[in-house]
Amino acid sequence: MTHIIIVGGGLAGLYASILAADRGAKVTTVFKGRGGLSISHGCIDVLDRSAPSRSLGSLPDHHPYQLAGKANLKDSISKFRDLMLRADYPFSGKLSKSVPILTALGSIKRTSFAPSGIARGYLNSDGPIVLGHFSGFRDFFPGMIQKRALKAGITIAKVIDLPLLEPPDRRDAYSTDYALLFEDSEWREEIIRMWRPLLPGVKRLGLPAVLGFQNHSEIHEDLEDSLGIEIFEIPTLPPSVPGLRIERILLRQAQALGATLIEGVSVIGRIDGRSRGKRVAGVVLHSTGRTIQLDADVVLLATGGILNGGLVAQQDHRIRESVFDLPVLHPASRSDWIGLSLFHRQAYASAGIRVNSHMQPLGLDEKPMFKNLYAAGGLLAGSDRSLEGSRQGIDLATAYCAINKALR
Amino acid sequence: MSSLSTQVLVIGGGATGLGIAWDAALRGLKVVLIEQSDIGQGTSGRHHGLLHSGGRYALSDPVSARDCASENRILRKIAAHTIEDTGGIFVATPADPVDYPDRWFSACSHLNIPAEEISLSALLEREPLLNPRISRSFLVQDASIDSFDLAHSLVKGIQDHGGVVLLRHRLESVTRHQDCLVEAKISDLSNVESLSLSANLFINAAGPWAKTITNMAGAELPLALGKGTLVAMSHRLVNTVVNRCKPPSDGDIIVPVGTVSILGTTDVPVKEPTSLDIEPWEVDLLLAEGDLLLPGLRDSRPLRTWAGIRPLYRPVENGDAQTRNLLRAHVILDHEETDGLQCFISVIGGKLTTFRLMAEEAVDLICDKLEIDQKCSTASTPLPHETGQFYSLTSRLEKLEHQHSHAIADQVVCECELVMRGDIEFALEKTGSGTDLDDLRRDLRIGMGPCQAGFCAYRTYAISLEHSSSPPSLKGLHNFLYERWRGIRPVAWGSTLQQMEFSRRIYLDLLAAGPESENRS
Repeated sequence: MTHIIIVGGGLAGLYASILAADRGAKVTTVFKGRGGLSISHGCIDVLDRSAPSRSLGSLPDHHPYQLAGKANLKDSISKFRDLMLRADYPFSGKLSKSVPILTALGSIKRTSFAPSGIARGYLNSDGPIVLGHFSGFRDFFPGMIQKRALKAGITIAKVIDLPLLEPPDRRDAYSTDYALLFEDSEWREEIIRMWRPLLPGVKRLGLPAVLGFQNHSEIHEDLEDSLGIEIFEIPTLPPSVPGLRIERILLRQAQALGATLIEGVSVIGRIDGRSRGKRVAGVVLHSTGRTIQLDADVVLLATGGILNGGLVAQQDHRIRESVFDLPVLHPASRSDWIGLSLFHRQAYASAGIRVNSHMQPLGLDEKPMFKNLYAAGGLLAGSDRSLEGSRQGIDLATAYCAINKALR
Repeated sequence: MSSLSTQVLVIGGGATGLGIAWDAALRGLKVVLIEQSDIGQGTSGRHHGLLHSGGRYALSDPVSARDCASENRILRKIAAHTIEDTGGIFVATPADPVDYPDRWFSACSHLNIPAEEISLSALLEREPLLNPRISRSFLVQDASIDSFDLAHSLVKGIQDHGGVVLLRHRLESVTRHQDCLVEAKISDLSNVESLSLSANLFINAAGPWAKTITNMAGAELPLALGKGTLVAMSHRLVNTVVNRCKPPSDGDIIVPVGTVSILGTTDVPVKEPTSLDIEPWEVDLLLAEGDLLLPGLRDSRPLRTWAGIRPLYRPVENGDAQTRNLLRAHVILDHEETDGLQCFISVIGGKLTTFRLMAEEAVDLICDKLEIDQKCSTASTPLPHETGQFYSLTSRLEKLEHQHSHAIADQVVCECELVMRGDIEFALEKTGSGTDLDDLRRDLRIGMGPCQAGFCAYRTYAISLEHSSSPPSLKGLHNFLYERWRGIRPVAWGSTLQQMEFSRRIYLDLLAAGPESENRS
């Protein structure tokens, strides 16, 4: 039985863990902290173009999508959707056509796949929109969304204040505090009673994305059926409830398939073993107060980019790969890392390690550094994901490709 | 074109101009002040927030030192709410000249600048993070001062006494009648209208822009500009202002301001008042020098940087002097004497600590010229404020802990600086439409804490849009985020860069706030 160690607990790492366990490998997934899902919108951005599948070919050769290949992207997404569907959290969308969703800023964002709760708000479908607001919730501003959306040509008929029973008793309550309220079915019955008279004639209601955490689909359907209206969710500021739902499903699935998850440890080195440096024999973990050695047949790095700590940018103008100190492609001077504004292209964002089409990290000689080392997700060079709108697509495609090649 | 007339027109809304207008208004003069952007936008709002004890200049510039010491005592009485009484220390590190502390200490005694030597153990008890290899240390009466709060109070004081403050008004030209300035043409930048203003006296307090004004009037001004770069560290690493006990030089001070600590400064001669670009070496140098005071500082997180321009008087005989070595004392130039041009006075140089004294001297001259016999009363008149107490870091938290509330106005908008929704709504109402997010930042400190506006820029933008009738453009949000980003760029590594990437995830991935999203549907 092949033992694979996966380093990283974000979308790429957890997804890879499931794929590997599904193929019968022995999987140990180690991670220091959670990945970027909790600050995402909970959708799958593949490419911010109207027809992503047609635009993939025009990306540069070293782009992660080009390296992983279109087939892996496609398969990775259908596999991901199967996983989510099995957990009663279906996604909709297609690679050939992006869908417009309304953001919490009242802007229009293009994405490729969205969970059905968000997808019901696709702006290309008909029906006047009404926004609902929970007056104590500080991260949702329907009046602002209404004004801004109008500018983008989307009419929001009105904004309705929807009362909640026993709302969170804190002046800094977050989305997650609200999401937990919705889990209680008796509580829901009460608020449905309170809301019903407030929603006459409303067909389509947009709410902040806090409609439950574990049992979202059940909650969502319950609200829709009882109120007789269509409801969609708008993702709000972190912590992102839709992102956390995905994270939870992935963690559960990985565990159900027998993967061992070790949270709160960092990998501080590798064991090179007997192969004259051609293979990685294992990793050295640092936990509270001690180090542990773990042997492995295959190691997959899914440690993320700058934000998640897979890459560390230093004052001395270096960007370092944090686990194995692999060579990182980045501009030589730190003054060249940063664009003029947050909205410009950032060289630091496309910094990362270079891989071949098997997702094997390359040395300076363009050859794989180790026969059994793979990398996926935010750690890879070659894409400014925020600007491109490609973050989750790259995570899924490269994780899928890496596991395919590693466990051939 | 509308027209106005006044006795005194003050050009420039920094501490100097505001101080002059306040003093003049208190003496009963009719005064109008114009500022091309917002109050305290120039040098006054771009320093490290130090209220000098005078110690810094005890050896190099005794006149400035003495002025600082006496003004320090006065400002503690009249503007207490803008001051946090942190105290200051001068410390000699192993890298500093050994004979300096004794010479410095005797200069302080000679100038009556309070300074008291303390032992190393007393020093480390007070500031445990300081370098244990420090050899000498002296307590002085430095403090930190919030120049935005000071500017706000001055504006209020001017207006309470009948003065007029016109923000976003730029001087376009002046008219001379024989050897006297008589009229100014001013444009209102917020609605592109212009007005003409006739005045008996024109006071140039435009700081780094002062030469533009004298050029307009056809007068001379020997002005040198020195750029000073500062770095804010994301924690309050010290509770006391810490100075290096050595001749003034780059990176010789750490000032605790609110929740952060500010490292100052460099001094680079520049040509233009807008030359505010920060070079990597300046940041590296400030961190390395700071590390001598607080070992390990260079590995802690820088939050952002900014630069200000010191406008310094450089008479011809000092033509080649380094800007750092020019005297920091202020100069009041009567252009009647230097250029034969009547009704025109330039007030330049000086420092925030001595703004009141500069104003007093300037307005004494103004009164002379207008033949008015009114004595200065700013030294004994407190600036308008509710409490009149020293500022303390914990005051916002204290206020919150004592009121348990579910009101929407009490929701936290900015966790870093503890700004409530009600504070923002109040500020929006007070200042009216035209208020942009950057005005709110200066007013409330939103976006100035560790998250550098990741959460609060969105919330504040949303609240201001819900409160205004202006078109829902993203321009205000963009400008605010551009400005924050610009200040962080020079320190973009480590956790600072992680924070920047976090903001990018919010504003691009999650909110689609980019300029191109404006026209996509």
